[in-house]
Amino acid sequence: MFGQKGLELIKELNRTPDVLPPFNDDVIRQVLEEMNALFEQNRMDLDKEKDANYAGVHVRHASLERNRRCLLAYLYNRINKIRQMRWEFGSIIPPEIKYNMCEPEVQWFNNYNKILATYMRGIGNKHGLNLTLDRQPPKELYIEVRCLEDYGEYEMDNGDVVTLRKGNMYLLPRGPCEQLIRQGILQHITD
Amino acid sequence: MHISNLKNEFYQPLIGNKILLLVHYDVDAVCACKILQYLFRSDHISYTLVPVRGVEELKYAFLSFCKEVKYVLFVNCGGTIDLIDTLEPENSIVFFVLDAHRPTDVCNVYSPDQVKLLVPRSDDEKIPHPSEIFRDESDEDDDDDDESGDEGDRQDRRRQKAEEAMRKRREKRQWEENRNHVLFSYTQYSYYGRSSAVVMYELAWRMSKDTNDLLWLAIVGATEQMLLAKVDYQRYVLETGFLQSHVQRLSHHSDNQSNEDDVGNILTGVKITFGKDLQLALYRHWTVEASLRYSRYSATKLRLWTLRGESKVQELLAEIGLPLVQSRQKFTSMNMILRKEFPESMEKLGEKYNMDRIMTATFFLQYGYRGRFCAFDFVYGVLALLESRAKDKSLSTCFMEALDSLSRSNKHVLEDGIEKCKTILVSIFKQVQSLLEMRQVISAGPFLYLVLQEGTLDVQLYSSPLCLGLLAQFALEAYVGSSRSKKAASQPLIASAPLDPEKGTCLLLGIPPVADESSNNFFGKAFEQAGERISARMNMDYFDTSIIQLKTEDRPKFLDALTSLLL
Repeated sequence: MFGQKGLELIKELNRTPDVLPPFNDDVIRQVLEEMNALFEQNRMDLDKEKDANYAGVHVRHASLERNRRCLLAYLYNRINKIRQMRWEFGSIIPPEIKYNMCEPEVQWFNNYNKILATYMRGIGNKHGLNLTLDRQPPKELYIEVRCLEDYGEYEMDNGDVVTLRKGNMYLLPRGPCEQLIRQGILQHITD
Repeated sequence: MHISNLKNEFYQPLIGNKILLLVHYDVDAVCACKILQYLFRSDHISYTLVPVRGVEELKYAFLSFCKEVKYVLFVNCGGTIDLIDTLEPENSIVFFVLDAHRPTDVCNVYSPDQVKLLVPRSDDEKIPHPSEIFRDESDEDDDDDDESGDEGDRQDRRRQKAEEAMRKRREKRQWEENRNHVLFSYTQYSYYGRSSAVVMYELAWRMSKDTNDLLWLAIVGATEQMLLAKVDYQRYVLETGFLQSHVQRLSHHSDNQSNEDDVGNILTGVKITFGKDLQLALYRHWTVEASLRYSRYSATKLRLWTLRGESKVQELLAEIGLPLVQSRQKFTSMNMILRKEFPESMEKLGEKYNMDRIMTATFFLQYGYRGRFCAFDFVYGVLALLESRAKDKSLSTCFMEALDSLSRSNKHVLEDGIEKCKTILVSIFKQVQSLLEMRQVISAGPFLYLVLQEGTLDVQLYSSPLCLGLLAQFALEAYVGSSRSKKAASQPLIASAPLDPEKGTCLLLGIPPVADESSNNFFGKAFEQAGERISARMNMDYFDTSIIQLKTEDRPKFLDALTSLLL
């Protein structure tokens, strides 16, 4: 049936909502071929002067639009996921994920990086503010963290060095800990 | 050096600096630590918290972290050892010691600036005068500078000098003997001072930062001392008086609020009340029958390990008017009227069944609709969490869990702890029952001893000092209750359990006799001397000197040496 291939793309995205699957070049090509074929048939039908199959034209046009919608949804959702990754991981993507993105997506990511960086630099009277640091408003300046793995010496912004060892608990300023909490070395303790 | 003004001399210098917190593994230390964490968080004082169990761990932790910090705070550890000698710190580092263990080492007391003790000096401790212990080792050498003078004069002078030298040597020897004697009598008995959590609560109060939560932590710390027989009953009563005044002060303004807000009050507020409660362990979270059977107080008074004891329990329940079915129900699902009357009826019948001290003054905590906790329950729960050592669960994880359980949002952790404690109590009772039936509590002359063999049920539970201590106490009271000899009440007990089967070590601890109300423990020194006598391979690592680790092969010789020492 027409439009099944397009649906396959959507189903693929639905299957793994958290992970970016590899760019499905194959299916997209098939969808585009199907769209081309439908378009050609339509054109031929409309060129005929008598016995034109107007109902068929309508059906084919509807499936063309359906395919287009599927393709656009696929591309848009992938781009959204890549944008989320920028906010979660930072401006450098791990190579495993980069492998799943196609070339134009990589270019889009780089451009997005540039725009975001320029914007963040210009906030606060040209002083700059890293918006990706605290996704939620922080409650306190110093946080209590528990160390889950041996890390060793860790240097903080103000020059203080802390030795992080498994099983100990620390009270540290918020900024330097965020990175380690994300990596899973520290665990934030809320009362 | 003792500090009395904690706020100015201890807390003020800490602001803006980094601290290292070394905390011991017991309930009192956990509570004190929690209060300190609250204070530090409010003042943004960066700290590093390391739990330690013995002197070795203390040294290791100190060496790893000493370069980054300027102040080190010891909670319930380090008071009884010479800190400067053991740790060899740099001159700029200051030690603050908040230790409930006594006697405090004299070097810590008389160190001019590096070691500061956070308790005011008390005369009860009978700390020796510095002149009796320290002496200027100034060399009074008698160099003969003046060569002048004739022969006769010089001979005279030489004789005089020789006499003086002999006199000085005799004096020195006498002084040293006196010094040894004074030090021995000072360190002979080990006991406990004021609870660290209460001291910290006082500090918070003086800084006007006290809340109901902190007060509850102080209450739990003080209750632990009573429950584990670290202090005698009188001291506990005095402490509850002090804490009760705070309870009244802090609950005063919540009473003033109008009653329309009552519902809101209960849900968000923490209410602490003072009252009397039964000494039945965890009875509010257990069934009445189980609690009667497995609590130390009731079990020893009713002699529940015998068959007659069982019938006594049923008699008691019948007299109160509690049907057997109800007594086997969980307390919270019991009949409302019976539940309310239960404490009072127990108190009335207490004297008849030889349980006159069944009601003790204690505090209750209530927040939310469920969960009215007694301070005893909290102590048992946190104790069980500290003891829940498993193969993949390190000691510091247990410590952190215990810390977690004390915060209000983690009630489920505490309830877990209470469940675990129930199994511990059941296991202790069964162990005592088998020990008494097989007559394994043996009298070795001046003391009693019991040895847990390796294949016994749940024996790995007793490889930690807290559980073994509970077992020892239960066993001693049970033995005294069931023995016919008159002098059983004045005999102390030594308990031993296998610690590490691979290394062949065992854990050994001693507790003072039942008749001794002051809970002074002389086993620290006794163990040291006995160990020296037979040069045993032992490890006196714990801060409480009455607990040691010993090679299992040396144990019989050790006990013999102790017997001859104490005779």
